[in-house]
Amino acid sequence: MSDDAADVQRVLAGDVDAYAALVDRYYDRCARFAVRMLGNRDDAEDALQATFIRAYRALNRYQERDRFSAWLYRILVNQCRSVAARRTHRERVFVREEALLANAPDRSQGWAGEDEEFVQRVLNELDPLLREAFLLKYIEEMSYEEMSALTGVGVSALKMRAKRACDRLRERWEKIKND
Amino acid sequence: MTDSEHSSYVEWIAREARRPVVMDAGARDRLMAAVRAEPVPHRSFVSRVGNAFQRFAEPRSLTLSPARSTLLAAGLVGIGVFAGAVMTNRDGRPTAGQPPVAAVSKLPVSDTFVKFSFVAPSAKHVTLVGDFNDWDVSSTPMTRSGSVWTVVVPMTAGRHQYSYVVDGKSWSSDPNAPSAPDDGFGHTNSVKIVGRGSTS
Repeated sequence: MSDDAADVQRVLAGDVDAYAALVDRYYDRCARFAVRMLGNRDDAEDALQATFIRAYRALNRYQERDRFSAWLYRILVNQCRSVAARRTHRERVFVREEALLANAPDRSQGWAGEDEEFVQRVLNELDPLLREAFLLKYIEEMSYEEMSALTGVGVSALKMRAKRACDRLRERWEKIKND
Repeated sequence: MTDSEHSSYVEWIAREARRPVVMDAGARDRLMAAVRAEPVPHRSFVSRVGNAFQRFAEPRSLTLSPARSTLLAAGLVGIGVFAGAVMTNRDGRPTAGQPPVAAVSKLPVSDTFVKFSFVAPSAKHVTLVGDFNDWDVSSTPMTRSGSVWTVVVPMTAGRHQYSYVVDGKSWSSDPNAPSAPDDGFGHTNSVKIVGRGSTS
């Protein structure tokens, strides 16, 4: 039995502290995906809390034959989608425009912003569909089959999205170099 | 600009984005406080039965005397006859073709049962996903009858979003139900409004 399965058994036997072990094991990785996907820590914390609470409530439905991480990630991906959907259209447009303005090339600093903020702004500019595929493939380093199981999207469509994301990032690079 | 410059830029973005993010110091404590405020989940009856069956089904050697073998065979025949009687209607038609009620352990307890139907003639298997089963693609399989896939699930009253997953890959909304607003990720789920105590 894996560590995850053993912890799940302990929780179901009434040991809530065993759930803290599961949270500790996966929180950082889930936090990274949620922040990169949603673009800010407040929304990410909402998505993380909803994810771990929903997983806790549904723990008696978790099947040992499934990988706990994959099961948890499926909930996380859907919670990130839900949090993103709750934002109003106006908010999303504002964030996007704000990111574009704030990310105008700063010649005084050369290739500006080799830091988290710069990377996050570049990611925010990607369409959510492309961003999700890019993050799952290149940040979480999943196979396309794993991504398909998580997202419900076909492998060929995911390959296309990941490729388009890379193309958009390359176009961004061209823009920076030419401005 | 060369392709390698292009690629190195994308790789740089990916490398930077792979760095851990630092969340608010109290975020994890707030999460665990919320968890502790929840009722402790317990293993469901069906799950316990499933695990017991799994242990029972594990291969093992068994030595029986001829007399005990005869008794065991007779018992198995009796079980078969009883099961046949239970699974057959009064008029002799089998009940197996009726849509199954999804396992109680997988869905919220409710007295409202909803039948979902989806036409997918070329599908090998279809499952129902929605907010009522945490969008779990394996928990609510549908049963085929010709080109129509059906399942009956107990649901709580309220507004639910759902989709059908064909062959584990392709998500489809219900053409006969209202659509939820696009979630911004290219998916359009369907909406089901369930009243209290109603059955549809």
